[in-house]
Amino acid sequence: MLSLIQVLTSGIAIGCVYGLVALSFVLIYKATETVSFMQGELLMVGAFAAVALNTGAGWPLWIAAPVAVAGLALLGAVLERFALRRAIGQPHLVAVLLTFGLGMMLRGGVTSVPAASHDIYRLPFADSVLQIGALALSLSHVLVIVATVVLAGVLAVFFRYTRAGLALRACSENARVAALMGVPVASMHTLAWALGAALAAVAGLLLAPITFIHLNMGLIALKAFPAAVLGGLTSLPGALVGGVFLGVAESLAGLVLPEGVKDVVPYVLLMLALLLFPDGMAAGWRRRR
Amino acid sequence: MLRPLLLIAAILVLGLSVLGADYAAGQATLVATYAIAGLGLVIIVGQAGQITLGQGALVALGAYAETLLAMRGVPPVLSVPAAVALGAAGGALASLPARRLGGLYFAMSTLAFALIVEEMLVRWTSLTRGGAGLSVPTLSWGGMRVDTPLEQMLVSLAALMLAWLACRRLLAGRSGRAWRAVREDEVAAAEACGVDVAATKLRAFVLGGALAGLAGALYAHWIGFISPEQFGLMFSFELLMLVFIGGARHLSGALWGALVIVSLPQLIALLRDVLPGEWSRSAGLETVLFGAVIVAMVLLRPQGLASASGGAQASVRKGTED
Repeated sequence: MLSLIQVLTSGIAIGCVYGLVALSFVLIYKATETVSFMQGELLMVGAFAAVALNTGAGWPLWIAAPVAVAGLALLGAVLERFALRRAIGQPHLVAVLLTFGLGMMLRGGVTSVPAASHDIYRLPFADSVLQIGALALSLSHVLVIVATVVLAGVLAVFFRYTRAGLALRACSENARVAALMGVPVASMHTLAWALGAALAAVAGLLLAPITFIHLNMGLIALKAFPAAVLGGLTSLPGALVGGVFLGVAESLAGLVLPEGVKDVVPYVLLMLALLLFPDGMAAGWRRRR
Repeated sequence: MLRPLLLIAAILVLGLSVLGADYAAGQATLVATYAIAGLGLVIIVGQAGQITLGQGALVALGAYAETLLAMRGVPPVLSVPAAVALGAAGGALASLPARRLGGLYFAMSTLAFALIVEEMLVRWTSLTRGGAGLSVPTLSWGGMRVDTPLEQMLVSLAALMLAWLACRRLLAGRSGRAWRAVREDEVAAAEACGVDVAATKLRAFVLGGALAGLAGALYAHWIGFISPEQFGLMFSFELLMLVFIGGARHLSGALWGALVIVSLPQLIALLRDVLPGEWSRSAGLETVLFGAVIVAMVLLRPQGLASASGGAQASVRKGTED
C-alpha cells in the first residue's frame, strides 16, 4: 500500500510536468493555430538558463528561477515577432517545420557551450525526503505537485478575471470577432507565445529535481503530445488532466508490465484514444453522458 | 520528366569531374535513395494533403526487413519485395486513425506510431540486437555483387526511375485525382464527388509506405550498418523537410529536396573549415546551421524550390497544375 502511494505520487509529479508542457502547447495552438515542436527545447533552455544564473553567476535560486522564466517569456515573444508570426494562416506543415528548425537552433546553441554538453546539473532544492509516519515521499515530487496546483490556480484566475486573460481567450475562440471587439489580436499572439515559453521553462525547472538538467531533457515534450491529445487538444484544463493521467498510467504500467513497455504506454494510449474517441477523451465522455 | 533528368545528368557529370568518381557516385546513390523515400512523402503530404511524422519509421521497417532477410541468405528478388510489403503494411497500420481524423490529430497518431516502432526496434533485442545495431551484408544475387559505388548508384537510379514512373502513372489517373480532391476539401470530395476518403488516404499511405520500405532496403545495403537511432524522429523530420524544400506538390520536389538534404551536411562541413575560432569546431554548430537553413527556407520560400523555378508562370497555372 505504502509503495503504491509512493509510485502514485511520483507518477502524479511527472504527470504534472507532462501536463504543464501540454498546457503550453495547447495554449499556443489555441491562440495562434500554430503547432509548436519546440516546447521541449524551450523547456531545456529554461532549465539551463536557471543553472547558468544559479551556479554560473552565483545568484540565489529564488532570483535565478523567476529571471530564467521571464527570460524565456521574452525569448518566446521575440521569436513570435520575428519568425513564428509568419506561420499564422499557413498550413500546419509550415509551423511544424519552422518550430522544429528553431528548436534545432536552440539545442545547437546550448550544445556549443562546452560546459552544458558535458555535464548533468542539478538545482539546489528539494533533494530531501518527506517522512509522514511510515510513508517516505520524495520532497521534490511533493513540491512539483504543489507548484503545479498553485500555477494552475494562478492561470485560472488570469484567464477568468484579468483583461489580458479574457482577451486571449476571446482571441482563441474567434480571432475575427475578438478583433472587432477591439482586442489587439497580434499582441495576443505574442502574449500566447510568451506565456507558452514561460510555462515550458517552469516545467523545465520542476523537472530539474526529478531527472536533472541535461541536453536531452527536452525529449519529455514528446510525452506532452499524447497528454494534449488526450485532453482534446483545445482544452487547457484537459491538457493538465491528460498529463497527470498519463503520468499515473505510465508509473502503474512500470509496476505491473514488463521492463521497457512503460515507455510505449503513452503512445499506445494516444493511438487508442484517437481510434476510439476522435474528438478527445473529454468529448467522448461528454457525449456518452 | 526529361528536364530534371537532364539536370541530374549534368550535376552527375560535374560532380564526377570535381569530386572524384567514387565520392560523387556515393553521394548520387544517397540522393537517389532519399528521393525514393521522398516520393512517398510527396504522395502523402503533397498529393493527399496529410502531415505524417512517421515516415522515418516506415523506412526503418524496410531497412530492418531487408537486413534480417539478407542475413539469412534470402535473395534480393524475395527480400526486397518483402521489405516493400512490410513498409506498405506499416503505412496501412499508421493510417488507421485517418479513417476518422484529419490534420493535426492524425499527425499526432503518426508520431505515436513512429515512436512505438522505434521503441520496438530498441527493445526486441533477440531480433534486432537493439541499440547495438546490425551490420548489413552486401546486396548480392547469385554471382552478382553490388559493392562498388558506381554499381550502387546504378541500382538506386534504376529503382528511383521505376518508382518515379509508377508514381507518375498513379498521379495522372483516378487515384491521383482522388488524393488531390481529399487534399483540397475532404467533405466536398466525399459528398459531391463520391470519393471514399478513408480508402483514398489508406492508398496514399500504402504507396508511401511501400516507397519508404524500398528506400529503407536500399539504404541499409549502402550504409552497411543500421541501428534504431538512425531512423528516429529526426530522420522523419529530415524527410518532411526534404519534401518541403523540394516542393511537396511535384514529384520532382523529392529529387530537389534529396539533393539539398544530402549536400547540406557536406556544405556545413566545408563551412566549418572556413570559419575561424574555437566555436566553429563545437558540436552544436552543425545543428544550429541545419536549423537555420530550415527556418530560412520556411520563411523565404513557403512553397519550396520546385515552385520557385516557375515564378509568375507557376502562379498563373496554379489552378490546373499539379
